[in-house]
This record gives sequence, C-alpha cells and structure tokens, in this order.
Amino acid sequence: MFFKQVRRNAAKNRKGNGLFFGSLVIAIIAFYTLLSLGGQDVMRYLATVESDAVAKLMALLPVVYVVSLFFVLFLVYFACKYQADSRRREFGMYLMLGMKRSRLFAMLFCETLWSSAVSLLIGLPVALLLTEGISLATARIVGLGIIGHHFSFSLYGIFWTVWGFILVQLLSMLVICIGLGKAEPADLLRSGDAEKQTVSSGAKSTVLFAAGLGFLLIAYYLGMTRMRTLSLYVLLAVVLCGILGTFLLYRGLGGFLGLRIRRKSPHALGLQTFTARQVQENVLSQHKSLAVSSLLLMMALACISYGISMGIGRSADSRSVDFSLFGTEEQIDAVLEKEGIREMVEDAYPLYLSMIKREYFRGEEKAFDTSKLLEAIGTVEGFGDMVENIIENLHIEYVIAQSSYNRILKNLGKEEISLSGRQAAIYTSVAKDGDFGRILEKALDRNTSVGIDGTDYEILPALYYDNVVADRAITLYMALIVPDELFAELARESKAYCRNVRLSDELVDEMGLMQAVQKMDAQLADTGMRYDSYLGGIGRNLFYTVAASYLSIYLGVLFWLIANTVIGLKYLIGQRQTRHRYETLTMLGADIRTMCRSVKKQIEIYFSLVLSVALVSSAAAIFTMFTSFTKLPMGVPISAVAMLSAAALTVFAVIEILYISVVRRAADREICGIEITDRR
Amino acid sequence: MDIQNKILQVESLTKIYGKGDNRTEALKGISFDVLEGEFLGIMGASGSGKTTLLNCIATMLKPSSGKVILRGQNISGFRGGALADYRGREIGYLFQEFELLDNLTARENIALPLSLHGVTAKKAESDIESLAAMLDITGVLDKFPGQMSGGQKQRVAAARALISDPAILLADEPTGALDSKNSKKLMDMLSEINRKQQKTIMMVTHDANAASYCSRILFIQDGCIFHELRRNVLTESTAAFYDRIVTVMAQLGGGSANVF
Repeated sequence: MFFKQVRRNAAKNRKGNGLFFGSLVIAIIAFYTLLSLGGQDVMRYLATVESDAVAKLMALLPVVYVVSLFFVLFLVYFACKYQADSRRREFGMYLMLGMKRSRLFAMLFCETLWSSAVSLLIGLPVALLLTEGISLATARIVGLGIIGHHFSFSLYGIFWTVWGFILVQLLSMLVICIGLGKAEPADLLRSGDAEKQTVSSGAKSTVLFAAGLGFLLIAYYLGMTRMRTLSLYVLLAVVLCGILGTFLLYRGLGGFLGLRIRRKSPHALGLQTFTARQVQENVLSQHKSLAVSSLLLMMALACISYGISMGIGRSADSRSVDFSLFGTEEQIDAVLEKEGIREMVEDAYPLYLSMIKREYFRGEEKAFDTSKLLEAIGTVEGFGDMVENIIENLHIEYVIAQSSYNRILKNLGKEEISLSGRQAAIYTSVAKDGDFGRILEKALDRNTSVGIDGTDYEILPALYYDNVVADRAITLYMALIVPDELFAELARESKAYCRNVRLSDELVDEMGLMQAVQKMDAQLADTGMRYDSYLGGIGRNLFYTVAASYLSIYLGVLFWLIANTVIGLKYLIGQRQTRHRYETLTMLGADIRTMCRSVKKQIEIYFSLVLSVALVSSAAAIFTMFTSFTKLPMGVPISAVAMLSAAALTVFAVIEILYISVVRRAADREICGIEITDRR
Repeated sequence: MDIQNKILQVESLTKIYGKGDNRTEALKGISFDVLEGEFLGIMGASGSGKTTLLNCIATMLKPSSGKVILRGQNISGFRGGALADYRGREIGYLFQEFELLDNLTARENIALPLSLHGVTAKKAESDIESLAAMLDITGVLDKFPGQMSGGQKQRVAAARALISDPAILLADEPTGALDSKNSKKLMDMLSEINRKQQKTIMMVTHDANAASYCSRILFIQDGCIFHELRRNVLTESTAAFYDRIVTVMAQLGGGSANVF
C-alpha cells in the first residue's frame, strides 16, 4: 500500500508539473555533461598530446562539479518546493488522519527516490545524446571535424551523476521536510497563503532604490575605468558594490513600483491595476530571489561571452604544413626515403628561415633601415595608442626565402608571391584580422620600403600570415620575405631551418587527418628524429579552447538555466498561492481570456525586471573583462566576436521566449482550472 | 418594494451532483420570485441546498435544469463573455470570507468591477467616496486589507459589490466571519441601503439575528422550499420577527422528532 501510494504520487507529480520534472532532467544533463568531459573526442585526443595539461584540467573538474552541485541544489530545491507547496493540504490531511510525521517524511523521501530513478532513466540517455552532440560540435568548431568520432560512454560520469543528483534531491527534500516538520496540520490545511501585502514606505523604498542604482553605477564605473590596475581592492569594491547594488535595487523596486501604481490606478482599465500589484507583490516578497537570479544571469552572460571569444581566439587555422622535421639534410632524406613514410608524403621542402646577420643591426651606415615603414605606420589613424605601441616595439629580425614561402602558398592553393629584385614582403603570424594586422595593412598601402645596405626595397602592399612551420604555438612576430639571393646575403644561417612535410591528400581523405597524422607520427617516433606536427601544435591551442571556453560556457549555461528556473518557479509558486484571487476576479466579471492576458503580462514584466538589470550589468561586466584583465587574443577579429555574440544573444532571446512561454502555459493551465471548478 | 416588478424569477431549478450511485440532488425544482427592492433571506440547515441555490443564481454553478431569469433574461444559459459581463455588472456578491484581493488597496478593490467593465476609478471617484462614506470606510480607502479589521474588510467588500449598481446583491453568510458588533453594523448598513436605495438583496444566512433584517425569508430543507416568513416592515419590529424566525428554525430542525 505504502509503495503503491509512493509510485502513484510520484507519477502524479511528474504528469502535473512539467517544469518540475524538466528541472530534474536539466540537473542530470548538467552533471553528466561536465563529468563525461574526459571521454569526449577532443579531450581524448588532447590526452595523447598534452597529458600534463589534461591531467590538470581533470583535477579541476571535481571543483567545478562541487560548484555545479551547489547551484543545481538551488534548482532542485525550488522545483521540489514548488511541488511540495502545491501538496500542503494533502500533507495536512495525512497528519489529521493520523499519519506519523516520520512516515510522511519516509513517503516523501521514497517519492523523491522514485522520481530520481525515473528522471535518471529519461535524463541519462538525453545527456548521452547531448554530450555526443557537444563532442562532435566542439571537434568541428576547433577544426577537428575530420577526426574519426568515437561514441563515448563514461561510467565514471554516470556514477557521479547518479550520486550527485540523488544527493541534491535528498538534501532539497530534507530542507523541505524540516519546514514541514515545524508546520501544524492546521497551517498545512490552510494551504500556503501569499504573504500579506504591506504598505512599504515610499520614501524608504525610493532611498533604497536610488542607493542600489548608485552602487551599481559605482561598480560599473570602477570596473570600466579602474580594473586595469588589477588591484585586489578594486576587484573587491566592484564585486561588493555590484552585489549590494543589485540587492538594494530589487529591495527598493517594490515600493517604487507601488508609487507608480498609485499614480496610474485612477486611470486603469481592466486588470491593469491588479496586474501591476501582482508584479509588485512578487517583487516585494521575492526581492532576494530576483537579485540572485539577476546576478546569476549576469554571470551566465559574462561566462558565455568569455567562452565564445576564447573559443574563436584559439580556433584552428588552415593546414599549411603537417610536419616540420629538424636535422641535417642527410638525416631527413634518410627518414623521408624510408618505406612506410615515403608513400605518405605529398610534398617535402626545406624552409629557409633565419635571423638577420648581426652586422645589420650595429647602427653603422643605417644597414637595416625601417624608418620609412615606421613613418608609414605613424600616419595610420583611428587606432589610438596601438599605433605608438607598434612603432615602439616593431623589429624585424627574421628573413624567409621567397621560394620556401611560395611552396607553403602553393600547398594551400594560394597565389604565389612574385618579387622583383628590389621588392620584399612582410610576414607575421600574430595578427590575422586583428588591429595589429589592420594597422600594418594600412601602412603597407602607402607604398613604403625598408632600406638594406643603402638600397630601398619596396614592400608589397599585401601582408602574409600563413604558418611557416607545423607548430602553431611558435609565433613569428614579424619577418621579411625576400628573394632567395637576398636571403643568402642577409641570413645568419645558410642552412634550412627545417624540412616541411605535407601529407598525401589521398591518405588524409581516406583515413581522416588525425589518424593519418598519428600514423606518420608513429613512424617518425621510431626514427628518433626531432619533429613537430600540425595536430601536436593545435593540441596546445585546443587545450586552451577546452579549458577556458568549454568550462566557462558550461558554467554560463548552468547559471542561465538555474536563474530562469528559479524565476519561473518563484512566479508559479506565487500564482498558486494567490489562486483564490483569480476565483474572486471571475466573480467580479473577469473572463478567462482577460485573466490569461494579465498573467502573460505579469510573467513578461517579472522576467524583464530580472533580465534588464542582468543585461545592463553583463554589458558592463563584458566590457570590463575585455578591456581590463583579459584581452581578446591577438588576431581575433572584433567583428567575428560581435557577430557570434549577436548570434548568441539571439539564441539567448529565443530560449528566454521559450522559457517564458513554458511558464505562461503552466500559469494558464492554473487559470483555466478555475473555470472548470467554476462551471462544473 | 415594487410588488408588480419581479426582478428575479427562479423556475423549477434543480442541481444534481455526481452520477449513478453518487448522485446527490441538492436542489429539487425550486421556484420563487424576488421583487425589486426586496430584502430576501434564505435560511436552512447545513446541506439543505441554500448555498447551491445562491451559487446557481450567481452563475458560479450551472443548474442541471430550470431557469434563473434576471430582469427578463435567462442567465442560466450564459457562457463566456456574456457570463463575465453579467457578473460584476448585474449582480454584486458578498462573500463570507470577504475575498478582497489582499494586494490591492481598498480603493483599488472597490474600483475593480468598474475597470473590468471599462470605467476608470477616476470617473467613478465620487461614487466611491459616497459609498465609502455611507459604509464608514473612508479612512481605510488607501489601506491594504492586511491593515484593516474584519468589519472594515466586509464593508469594503460590500462597497465593491455595490459600486457597479447591480440589479441584485447576493450575500453568502456575510456576517459569518464577524463579531456581533461588526455584524450588527454591517446589517444596519445593508438594511439602510435596501431601504433608501431600494437595492434588492438576497442573503443566505444561518444567523437569526441577521435574518431578522429581511423582509421575507425562505426556509429550505433537503433542496425544497419548506416554509416562508414575511415581515410587515411597517408594523413588526426586528425583535418580534426574530422570535418568529427562531420558532420556524426550531420546527425546521424537526423539534424533538429528529433527535435520534
């Protein structure tokens, strides 16, 4: 009988409350997504090339897991509280019928466990599918879409997901049961009435509201202007002012709304006054939840923006060179002739890259003169201090032979450089599409030149970026691409820097890039030769992508879901507690459509109150983040970040609208329930 | 009271709850008329069907058969917009538990039925003020229900029920949640409104004291009208009428015949 009742109640909870059940499934997905990170394609690959860094990241995961556990606890607590509040009368009845509290609590705990089991049965497959999707999508974003995908199934992830989920469910239930334990049956039977509205002093509210606004403005100002100093005190002041400001703002908002309602109510029609008072009541009684949700949303937006920009910053570029081999020509020739290696190679060529001879920098006879180039850079306008920074720091110490660079361009299918005897081109690997690149390009447009040994060499207006070696972690700030004869004259080292190898396209098409590179890797490893590989190089980049981008996006999405669920559930709890008001409204002549419109308006205003503050604060936070303690990685085009942010913001808006409509539908169901009772 | 003008006609009204073995007949074909300006009381034991009758007239319940005709219109068939329009405009309803919206001030509560029917509080300001003065609630107009006494709440609820000048005021045990002093104050005021404004009032009550303010009382037992008492308002005092009511109530209980 007891277990039958448990099963029946749990089923009723699930059917009657999609939002509650949805929250549980979200919690499961959140846990598993994080915990299965180690099993994802990208991470499995990284573990083979960057095992130390991956081990460090994996050591960080339990901390993030505990943080998620804490936040998911909020989510599940509110979901369970919403559920429990709607059953207070039922609990009161059980107690009145003689059920012991201990038995009631045992029943609730069993229901929780049963619901957990069902949620896990549904949530885990969804989580598995989602993580597979994320795995594929991440691989694609970072340029590894070509890598063979393996289905990952993390037993470790499942174990800790189940454990964490049941723990937060039971903890939430424990807190709710403590509350129920203190309530008398009569209180329970009376059902949770809304807190009584009190007249909050208009003056006090206005002061609080103004103080909140003031603190927020101080936080924005300090963040945007003083965070560059990276002082701990400034950071503390910004965080404290931000939190205090948000809480005070919402604390005072209720009274502030009250003043507005008083002014407007004499002219109100329909349910306008009622709608406004409902919103005001929610703000008055739930100002802390609103502040917490707003802060969570702000953190979510900041985390997601950070993650996206880091993600783009580290994304892989075009594949110009697969391997760079280092050694004497004979050694390299011997290796490349080996069976098993020879057939995998499409092209192999020496890269002539060297530092410029020391005598050119001794200041004699202006042997290496960049003054015209600097002059041209100095005329570029609209980039502020950046131009001066470049002028101060610009140095060209390397030269690349034209023939070597043309082979790279040829392999990429790009047009080769054609240099006459008195021409050179500029190469940089740091600035594709960034301000640095744009300034240089503008300067090169002005027909500038460098002087070598008293001869002016005209610099081509195009700037060259394509990587010259396999390892992307090696950056060459600036180099001069010169005709081969001039290279021989200028170069400190006459020998090739390395031999660049490009794998056969057929092999790559057949096996996928990763497996092809790994096959070659295995062959080369046996030879004992020093070499870099394309994937080894991007491995390091990938690690930053995953560590910075993935985790911050994960936390961002988690904060976002929790904030939305808290706002939604808080509203629905409030609506359920004031259900009798809608019955009264029906008696006073309000029809169902009018009441549904009022509810829609209430939900929209309620969400907007949280979202508007969060959006403004997050705009300030994101601005602070990218102008102060973290910079967009060099070479990240601001337009790409802006476009992606706009896309992310659109997704954000769409999901918010979906969320609002889910809450509205749940609220409408309550209202329509009134008519059924009314006209049975 | 206009004896020619029937404001409300209830014809063969039945209400059946449940089906099959659970079938309960709460109203068994009740018929009566209410005249304009009348103060009608409905009395009966618990479960006799008096609140079901009131709720059918108030359109809170749909009758199983029969008609409720208010000012010549059969309202038992109303649905949707017509129903909403009827509520709040044609009838005022006074609840036992006041049912004020506790997040609205008294003034906003009173203005609500008007704004639902397209009239702003500003336009009805003088009506609100005069009703408030009549019901002695001027001092609490800008307070929330949580800041009022039970008596004040019920008088605010009365003002809300009367503000749209309804054809009939339905009251369900309006003194049920009040102490004797506040009950008397409320009944004095309702009686005055009935007398001076010729407002038709139909009140369900258990309380013989409250019922003694009525001009006519219908006693209901097991879903049927069992007895009717009329008071000669000009010659009979409320005290004398009270005695008659108590006597009928004793008979309604069946005297000693119903004691097991």
